[in-house]
Amino acid sequence: MRAGGRSRPAVIVYSLIVTRRRILQLLIGATGSALVLLLFWRPQRLAHLVSRRFKPRLDATAPGVLSKREMQTIVAFTAVLVEGRELNTHEAGYVVEHVTDKAGKTPGYLSLYQKTAALLDRLAGAPFSSLPLEQRIGLMMRHRFTDSDVRIRECLRPWGRETLAVRALAVPDLIGGYYLSPAGWAAVGYEAFPSRCGDLTRYTSAEA
Amino acid sequence: MAAGDGVREAEVCIIGAGAAGGIMALELARRGIRVVVLESGPRHDLARRGDYSRRFVKGENPWESPLKGIDRYTTGGSVGYRLEWNRARGVGGSTLHWEGTTLRLRADDFRMRTLHGVAEDWPISYEELEPYYGKAERALGVAGTPDDPWASPRSTAFPLPPFPLSFSDGFFARACRKLDIALHHVPQARNSLPYGGRSQCHACGTCHVCPTGAKASTDLTHIPQAVATGHADVVADATVLRLEVDGSSQVRSVVYAGGDRRERRLSARLFVVAAGGVETARLLLLSASPDFPRGLANRSGLVGRYFTSHPMIDVTGRVAERVYPYRIGFSTAMSGQFAMPRDRQRRGAFLLEFLNSAGPLPGEIAPVSGAWGTALGQRVKTEFGRTLGIRIYAEQLPIAANTVTLDAGVTDYFGNPVPHITYGIGPYERAALKEAEEVAAKILATLGAEDIRSGPLGYAAHQLGTHRMGSDPAQSVVNAHLRAHDVPNLYLVGGGTFVTVSSSPPTLTIAALAIRTAEHIAEVYRGQGTIRRTHRSGVPAAGMAT
Repeated sequence: MRAGGRSRPAVIVYSLIVTRRRILQLLIGATGSALVLLLFWRPQRLAHLVSRRFKPRLDATAPGVLSKREMQTIVAFTAVLVEGRELNTHEAGYVVEHVTDKAGKTPGYLSLYQKTAALLDRLAGAPFSSLPLEQRIGLMMRHRFTDSDVRIRECLRPWGRETLAVRALAVPDLIGGYYLSPAGWAAVGYEAFPSRCGDLTRYTSAEA
Repeated sequence: MAAGDGVREAEVCIIGAGAAGGIMALELARRGIRVVVLESGPRHDLARRGDYSRRFVKGENPWESPLKGIDRYTTGGSVGYRLEWNRARGVGGSTLHWEGTTLRLRADDFRMRTLHGVAEDWPISYEELEPYYGKAERALGVAGTPDDPWASPRSTAFPLPPFPLSFSDGFFARACRKLDIALHHVPQARNSLPYGGRSQCHACGTCHVCPTGAKASTDLTHIPQAVATGHADVVADATVLRLEVDGSSQVRSVVYAGGDRRERRLSARLFVVAAGGVETARLLLLSASPDFPRGLANRSGLVGRYFTSHPMIDVTGRVAERVYPYRIGFSTAMSGQFAMPRDRQRRGAFLLEFLNSAGPLPGEIAPVSGAWGTALGQRVKTEFGRTLGIRIYAEQLPIAANTVTLDAGVTDYFGNPVPHITYGIGPYERAALKEAEEVAAKILATLGAEDIRSGPLGYAAHQLGTHRMGSDPAQSVVNAHLRAHDVPNLYLVGGGTFVTVSSSPPTLTIAALAIRTAEHIAEVYRGQGTIRRTHRSGVPAAGMAT
């Protein structure tokens, strides 16, 4: 302290720095600054952080078995996603096999499929699988179920979480499962593929 | 009957029915020596492998043990080495899931200290092992042709013709010609024609599980023949918990258990541990006794040390043409041009394997394509099959800090400490990978590939070096015949015996060494009256064989 100068009471200095409001202001300021910095310098990193926090996630519920009606709804839904038409018996079988496997073995998927089926039936006002194909397509487009590319701003909305979960989790899973099956290989023109044996010499030339 | 009930003694007890154990069982049994093989895992019937194959493509590991916690382990080091997909427990061992690539080591690989001033020389030479390579190739049924210009001389022909080059190999061949890189066939232990009572390969595309038995695995190629001699028993679901020694530093018995955890005992004159680079080291460490306080056969302190594998990286690029991947589950072309570099004192050798299966699958393209309905199939068709890939296998020097030890804090199904694997790579391996990535990228760029990228650092399913061979008992665990320096009636076989690992996959060398060791056991020991068909012979004296 300088000689002859007026010193401020220590208690006032203390209160200026340490009040709760001050701490809160500092925290908000720091967080805001960090977000602004991230937004301008590392927008992708920020997007990643936000989507990781707010994007729908699988819960940890136990595996199990879907009801017949739930399975019918899921198959009818998948048919629109993967082919845009009714599936034949084989194709529907691939969907059933995938869904049964996942629901029966991986925690969270039974619940995801059940919620998906319940939401679709509710939106349809009837069993979703009973709707004609065109109506199913219309409903799915109206609710953007055909778009699994979930944006960050959608993740931040407090409403529409059920729909978002179907788009973010169920849609890619059902499409991926179907295309991992023989149907996916058929789409690229392969009759034999990993796990289905064939002609040994086929690999030496281009496909017909 | 529970695992092994009724089996009390044997002339030779072999622990593990994989590449080394299965081959030794046949080689000894066909010479009239009474063998009992104790295998920790179950029998995987060939008839079930169609189902295994379908489970495999869904991402399941069909070789996973049914005993909860039996495969538990912990990891450390700069690269966390994972075991889940990198070993298989069962009659056949890791040959159940191996790729079937059967390269020999090259003559230089045995003389790293002499030629390059790094690591150590093997106590045997390529020339000594060469006849056994030929025997191993015949036993496994190797399809190949001697078109690798850098391969060491061979005295026998491959028993089967090679698998022809693939359609996508044609792309690589064009680029390699321009770059003056030799591309050659890959020797494969799978049937290009029917062989050994097994069918021709049917291109099932899931070689991790071969549903037809065309790929050699000792449960098909060796174990049935061994049992058919009448001199071999194989006890599945029998996990050896420890080996017991007597006062003269010899193993007297093994203690093993099945799923019921009840301990059983089996006595034998000789013991062969063939449980893979991780479990063999672990079993020795678990078998510590007053005679061997640091673990059985571990007076050198080297059991579990120098755990080595092959660092791997895939380099991929996207080309305009369709290359038709995923029609066969193994590679048909490679280049050994970089397997014996001049500057090997500074950086490791590497192999380039030209992949027949690279790029995303239809089931990986579809969910991220943004398309749906009728447009989705077209999008997948357009996107699929335009990725070429090159896999790099790099040589790794033995690093003392890479180890298999016991983790006393975690126990397995039987209550034993699990293996703790510490694994990392050093500048020698990084230099090899860097150069290999540059060569691979150049090959892909020559093909006009775009989006050329290297995948993450991986490692092969090869667990090597943990009980290495050598002439000096202070610097090695087993001698040139794979007999433990410290325990005269104990042999340790398999990849753990490798002094250095080259850039070649190890299985053919494991097989050749196993045949050589079996011959040695049969000739030396029986010649001295230790092992007879009568089962009444004595116990080998210490230092009897070398």
